[in-house]
Amino acid sequence: MRHEVKLSDIGDEAGRHATVAFWHIDEGEEIEEGDDLVEMVTDKAAFNVASPKSGVVIEKLVQEGDQVAVKDVLCIIEF
Amino acid sequence: MFHVYRNPGMKADFPDWIRRNWPSGKDFEATRDLLDDLGLNTVCSSAQCPNIAECWQHNRATFLILGPVCTRNCPFCAVKSGRPHTVDPQEPHRIAEGVSRLGLDHVVLTSVTRDDMPDGGAAHFAATIDATRSRNPETIIEVLIPDLQGRAEPINTILDAQPDVFGHNIETVPRLYPEVRDPRADYRRSLEVLDTANTHLPRPVVKSAIMVGHGETPDDVRIALNDLNAVGCDAVFIGQYLQPAPNLRNVVEFLSPERFQEYSCMAKAIGIPQVVAGPFVRSSYWPQAIPLGASQCVTK
Repeated sequence: MRHEVKLSDIGDEAGRHATVAFWHIDEGEEIEEGDDLVEMVTDKAAFNVASPKSGVVIEKLVQEGDQVAVKDVLCIIEF
Repeated sequence: MFHVYRNPGMKADFPDWIRRNWPSGKDFEATRDLLDDLGLNTVCSSAQCPNIAECWQHNRATFLILGPVCTRNCPFCAVKSGRPHTVDPQEPHRIAEGVSRLGLDHVVLTSVTRDDMPDGGAAHFAATIDATRSRNPETIIEVLIPDLQGRAEPINTILDAQPDVFGHNIETVPRLYPEVRDPRADYRRSLEVLDTANTHLPRPVVKSAIMVGHGETPDDVRIALNDLNAVGCDAVFIGQYLQPAPNLRNVVEFLSPERFQEYSCMAKAIGIPQVVAGPFVRSSYWPQAIPLGASQCVTK
């Protein structure tokens, strides 16, 4: 099965964007639930996105330096 | 030590310790959905608090009453500024319901500044305290109020509702008020607000907070801490200013955790009973986790 890892919606009606700082993992690598997946940066701070699933990261849909919005898909994990 | 992220599109470089978890998970989503279901505003979301993940995952939230739009415009604040919303008379009851459903044993009620209202929203604050206490008699109620233009009557309206903790943040040191605060803010007046609480009977716990990283010196901070001690502050929270958006005030300095430890020691030496200092400390961050009489430097 495949799981789309999205940048969570925090419920702020003003919306939220973040920039991809760096990936902790490459495509094809295994990851455990809770492990560091990708680091995002906003104007305010750096934020770690943890993997919601254990599996294999089969595709990264955003690259370092890309700006993403909440609910955007960051990557796909096969589990 | 900084880890510098050099990538195209990067907006800022942060030291290692300015790092949080992006909000996610079922517990976080449950809190988010409950707040959305009840139509409740939070300062967690409106001010883009970096602690939102940790707090909401543990069913903690700080409610923002009197609408989401502020009549002032402080250069550091992400809360919307402009034409305020009509106040909903049912909001106190929705807040009380939210406290009940979240199971909060300590709730923080804060608000935007409502200079458009004759009483600054004080009666609404009191009604929210009353409704929350009526529905949740065991919950500690903390208020974090605007300056109410320093008027004694509305301040006493809130104090007469007997919040357990009365907070009003001076936000920064007196020397930097002209550049950090909205022009309608006044340092001396904010100290008088705190002193009003200090001399009220029954007396609540009196609390204030400062953000550092605006370019203040240790002597600046010492002046502010001495002033807060003089008006009877029982607790002072010191945190790092973080720029919420490009159009808001830049961070002048990221203070190391060691610097926060120094400020914690400074405050204790001055005689402030309870001090919480750390990069991510905010006046409503885990208030119930800190027992009165204890002080700590929170490095994470």
